[in-house]
Amino acid sequence: MEIRYLLEKPVTLDIQMQVRDFTVLLGLSGEGKTMLLKAIAGLIPAHGHPFGGLAAERRPIGYLPQGYALFPHLRAWENVAFPLPRGAGRRAQAMDLLTRVGLVDLAERYPAALSGGQRQRVALARALARRPELLLLDEPTSALDMATRDEILDELIREVHDFGVPVLAVSHDPHLAMLADHMAVLLDGRIAQEGPPRAVFARPATMGVARLLGFRNFLAGRIEEIEGAGMVVAGAGADWRLRTGLQHGMHAGMAVTVAIRSEDLVPGDALGVSAPNALKLKIVSLREEGVALRVRMEGALSLDMLLPRLQCEGRSLVLGTELWVQVAPEYVHVMAG
Amino acid sequence: MSDTAAIAITASRQLPTRWPTTLTAIAVLVFLLAPFAALVFATDWHDFQFAPGDLDAIRVSLFYSGLALMLVVLAGTPLAWWLAHYHYRGKWLVDALLLLPLLTPPLAMGILLSSLYGPYSPVGGLFSQAGLYLTNTAPAFVLAQIYGAMPYYVLAARAAFEGVPEELEQISRTLGRNRWQTFWWVTLPLARLGLTAGVALAWVRAMGEFGIVLIVAYFPQGIPVKLWVNLQDMGLSAVYPLLWVFFLVAVPLPLWLGLRSRRQGMF
Repeated sequence: MEIRYLLEKPVTLDIQMQVRDFTVLLGLSGEGKTMLLKAIAGLIPAHGHPFGGLAAERRPIGYLPQGYALFPHLRAWENVAFPLPRGAGRRAQAMDLLTRVGLVDLAERYPAALSGGQRQRVALARALARRPELLLLDEPTSALDMATRDEILDELIREVHDFGVPVLAVSHDPHLAMLADHMAVLLDGRIAQEGPPRAVFARPATMGVARLLGFRNFLAGRIEEIEGAGMVVAGAGADWRLRTGLQHGMHAGMAVTVAIRSEDLVPGDALGVSAPNALKLKIVSLREEGVALRVRMEGALSLDMLLPRLQCEGRSLVLGTELWVQVAPEYVHVMAG
Repeated sequence: MSDTAAIAITASRQLPTRWPTTLTAIAVLVFLLAPFAALVFATDWHDFQFAPGDLDAIRVSLFYSGLALMLVVLAGTPLAWWLAHYHYRGKWLVDALLLLPLLTPPLAMGILLSSLYGPYSPVGGLFSQAGLYLTNTAPAFVLAQIYGAMPYYVLAARAAFEGVPEELEQISRTLGRNRWQTFWWVTLPLARLGLTAGVALAWVRAMGEFGIVLIVAYFPQGIPVKLWVNLQDMGLSAVYPLLWVFFLVAVPLPLWLGLRSRRQGMF
């Protein structure tokens, strides 16, 4: 399904993107992701298709806002039955939907007596009761505990696949985007990039997209050489050089930005200078992050490295000392500009 | 330090802070309720009888207050909903104007109504031509009660509607319900505690309205004006029976609604 929506107030948005199965639109808070969902749902004035021009109650969508907005005065099954026509089979239909999301035992409970994940599933069942053509999820991970988040997400994705309704979920959480069938990145009111998560995460199109996807190291440089198997990028003062994989649309002398994930850097002190992409840098800060260690290094260039604990074992990392680090050429991502 | 010493210190710490507030609270409660106790003792229970016309006053008050309450709810609910839902420039002015009838002393309001609806005013003249006389008549009585009660109901109902999360009303729309259905199935049930408080308040105001009624509709006499007349004509002891009835009809409904809404705060 193709989505095309133009908004002027309260934020300016010009969105054109595909929705396939479980699609995640990734964007920073305040970018207007919620506004886009409300526009598609017909709750705020906007131009676009599908459903443009229809009153909110006539649009075949299911909308799950943050916090799920269950009706507090209705029991779980009454919430699910809310969109169903008044009639004899209403309760049975609601119970059937609750069974499908595994909550039939809690049908008589009020929302206040349900956990975050349970509320989400009741809201899902309620949204699906109308047989929507598109399901809109606003930050589906925001109200979930870290401990149960992944489990609930897996289940949510499985359920929406079961129901066979295309889903557009908006989120600032790259983790959710990784689980998607299709993803798009919202930057400055437009779609900066879209595609399968594997492709987008590996090859962000711009620095802004890369930042959203968790890249921390950005280096300005120039393409020095293009060979059969790869390229060489050098810093402005030729003070550093990195081998990279081959990328389309690049030519020698072109100004580029290099992006490297912190977790793709590895200590290479045993390798010496002959190994590809080995850099000798001084450790300027060390910070524990859970069981990993974040190392900030400076020298010919500044890099941020996240060392898993396996890599830390047997290694003495001391502030102010020098360290060889290395990055595989295929993990050095080059972007134009 | 031994355990007993520790306990003694805790106790002595709590005493000076807790007792004065409790005692003050009790004293203020006694002060507030003392007049009601006085009524119990002052009433001559062996010779409990109504003054002539008291029963008519009760009938008038009950019937017309009920009618006024119905009209207040019917007209005030859409206004309150509109005030709670629509935001536009200069709304503060509308809010301020709305407070005007609320803040105007009843006697002054009565004089204003006489000026507007009196037989010699253009508006009053128009109504008279249509056969509706708005001085010292049943319609005038109801009109006075409406002016006394409606501002309170509108304020309470508006607060009740504002307390309903807009998101729930929006969700109802996305679930295929139009504005009217949303109002009945989402807004109204969620605002019902505040609305019942508004109804109770309006009932008390309508029943007890004296100042406006005195000026605009001395007749037909309801309980408040009749109490005043009895007091003037026969003295204090003659008003107690009617006063008891006044309490019995005016207070239980709001009291019951108030207690109920306190208990049902949560779903």
